[in-house]
Amino acid sequence: MEPIEFLAQTPPFDLLDGERIRLVERSLEIAYVPRGEMILRRTDPQNDRLFLIRKGAVRLERDRRLVQMLEEGDLFGYPSLLSGTSPTVDVVAEEDSLLYRVPKTTFDRLMEVKPFGEYFLAELAGRIRATINGDQVALTGSLSTQTGSLVTRPAIFVRPDTPIVEAARVMTRERISSILVESEPLGILTDRDLRSRVIAEHGDAQAPVTTVMSQPVATVHARASLFEALVIMLENKIHHLPVRDDDGRISGVITDTDLLRHQLKSPLHMLQVLDRLADPAEFRNYADEMGAMVDVLFQGNLDVLEIGRIVASLNDAAAKRILRFVEQKLGPPPCPYAWIVFGSEGRMEQALLTDQDNALVHADEGEDATRYFSQLATEVVAGLEKLGIPRCPGGFMATRWSMPVSTWKRQFSNWIETPDSTALIEAANFFDFRRVHGSLDLGELDEIILAAGRHRLFLGRMAKNATEFSPPLGLFRRIREQESGVDLKKGGIIPIVAIGRMYALELGILGRGTVERLAEASASAGGLSTDGAEVLRESFRFLLHLRLREQLRARREGDRIDNSVKLDALASIERRHLKDAFVAIAEFQDSMALRYGTNFIS
Amino acid sequence: MFFFRSKPWQEIEYWALDLETSGLDSRRDQILSVGMVPLRGGVIHWGDHYYSLVRPEAWDGLTGDAVRVHHILPEELRDAPLLTAVLLEIDMRLSGGASLVLHHAEFDLGFLRKAYTRLGRAWPRPSVVDTQVLVSRYEERQQRLSPYALPVRKSLSELVQLFNLAPYTSHHALGDALATAELFLALRARLELTSFRQVRTG
Repeated sequence: MEPIEFLAQTPPFDLLDGERIRLVERSLEIAYVPRGEMILRRTDPQNDRLFLIRKGAVRLERDRRLVQMLEEGDLFGYPSLLSGTSPTVDVVAEEDSLLYRVPKTTFDRLMEVKPFGEYFLAELAGRIRATINGDQVALTGSLSTQTGSLVTRPAIFVRPDTPIVEAARVMTRERISSILVESEPLGILTDRDLRSRVIAEHGDAQAPVTTVMSQPVATVHARASLFEALVIMLENKIHHLPVRDDDGRISGVITDTDLLRHQLKSPLHMLQVLDRLADPAEFRNYADEMGAMVDVLFQGNLDVLEIGRIVASLNDAAAKRILRFVEQKLGPPPCPYAWIVFGSEGRMEQALLTDQDNALVHADEGEDATRYFSQLATEVVAGLEKLGIPRCPGGFMATRWSMPVSTWKRQFSNWIETPDSTALIEAANFFDFRRVHGSLDLGELDEIILAAGRHRLFLGRMAKNATEFSPPLGLFRRIREQESGVDLKKGGIIPIVAIGRMYALELGILGRGTVERLAEASASAGGLSTDGAEVLRESFRFLLHLRLREQLRARREGDRIDNSVKLDALASIERRHLKDAFVAIAEFQDSMALRYGTNFIS
Repeated sequence: MFFFRSKPWQEIEYWALDLETSGLDSRRDQILSVGMVPLRGGVIHWGDHYYSLVRPEAWDGLTGDAVRVHHILPEELRDAPLLTAVLLEIDMRLSGGASLVLHHAEFDLGFLRKAYTRLGRAWPRPSVVDTQVLVSRYEERQQRLSPYALPVRKSLSELVQLFNLAPYTSHHALGDALATAELFLALRARLELTSFRQVRTG
């Protein structure tokens, strides 16, 4: 196969027309790199070539640790190429390799081809869509930066009566691919409009721009995250997005290429790394990279609940990869099964790494199944531990909780019918379960949880248990502080989660997330008031935010990461918010006690 | 004592070249196509490659075994440039003192020298890197390291496979020229040759 043929079938070069492919071919260089030779260095001031692996393999390394392995057909060098900065990783030949090299001058011309540039964006977008669907994630931190930071020059406007040809001249002179029209509402004219609405349709170039512009125009607030900007672009299928400031003035226009260039400055594609490693558990700095990723997302003002979903999705992806890896090693499972997670992982409310909370449900009862899945559980739990997700001190892990679905059903029913203290703790944990991997249908377990609302004794005891932890409020409702600070988890987060779970059990809500449960509870008759749901949701978000902020600070400063916050570390308005949240939670707990008559339950 | 210090190998410009011919005998057979690929700075500059078919002077003997190898049909050659023109192109690339990289150098050199002579041009006497010679050196070294290993096979496409290089269309002058260039780079690295004196074989 000739170089040009190989190029023409390798993404994203396959998106180029014949003329552009020949442009690539004319400047193509072929280098042979023996094994072990360094191709790019992080200390290089910059890189001016795009690399395509024709034969062989290379390793991307950071501080001599493997970040990613690339093979035939893979590209590298583009992050530094796009950003004009040093390579983000060291690149070392893993095998003797033949590399096709495209010089920057050619690459820059290819980036003018929309689909080619969009290739990188599309790859990114796919991952973000997947995140939103809660499937998997590889969001890199820089997407949480404020959109306004990408604006490099003021927006250029023309008046509505400007002839198209004049607008086109301004665009050419200013070297911009879109121009704004001072119409009411705001209009925009892009290169694409000029092509498709003027040239392709033999439009009148003397007509006013208003005849061919797009209107109204989607805009984004300067303080919105790039993540939001990207979502707006994707949903509206647009490539130019005006940025507005607080007064509603348009401060500039960002393009998808801007986003792309920015994004690629920190290509921390954790998921890709997981996918590339033969043994995913070998991703030794997983926990570390996760922490760093959460930090950047947080710095960029991404909502703490959103961060929780991203972290959970990433952990799901890690667990799935490890499961598949162990499945391959042990041979196919003897019967369908499901790997489930519960606790904060089940509710997707994790932030920094928490302990493992997992279990295994398998279809068959026989000894073969028991043996296979016990082996599977042992290896997967060990793999997760290797990634830096510690074992659950309470033993809520698949190593102990691996049972046929028939036993699980009995167990679920037992917890409801005989709600002793152990049963209540276990039910509270397992009833937040969520399937991460495996094909076994768990509808029967959901049915049992749905029916729990009919068991008044169980509900009452659960409610009593739910008030076991309560906000640390003292006389005159002052916040009581321990020496270690105020425990946000026991004092606020667990109580709100428990309230959400109580509503879910009573009203038959299958949603697992606390905010989701509260929303559904406020939507159903006999549930929570809308105001009540909002107060709880905002308190919950505030507490999670505060906790994560403290944890990230502790992480950066090398302190112990826990759930406490010192009152004097808070701004006065935060102390007031914290008190308001605690008071609200206490009130909800009181009304829950009344509702279930928990004072009369032993 | 005075030592002539040879230049580092990558400071020389090389042209990997391959010919497809109507047969194996340079006295009787004709050049049907030429492929050339330059190496500068130790890297193949694919964009500057040269390829041309050559219109034969005699049309007999253009069938049979050779066609089965290189798949060049007589009708494809009718509009091709004459050898004079093609030779000018070759000469332009070699006259600046570039070296030739050839696989089985004697074969291609035989045809080239004869073509130069016939057209009354002076053969530029380029230095030559014969990848086949480098393969033999590599083989000798392998034999020393593991005396019982099987000998290295010699056809270009087998070598391409052996060194895990890209499979280009073989028995096509351009594909084979590129394969020869890559083979040169692989052997240079394996044999750890660093100076031009070490890589040249003729």
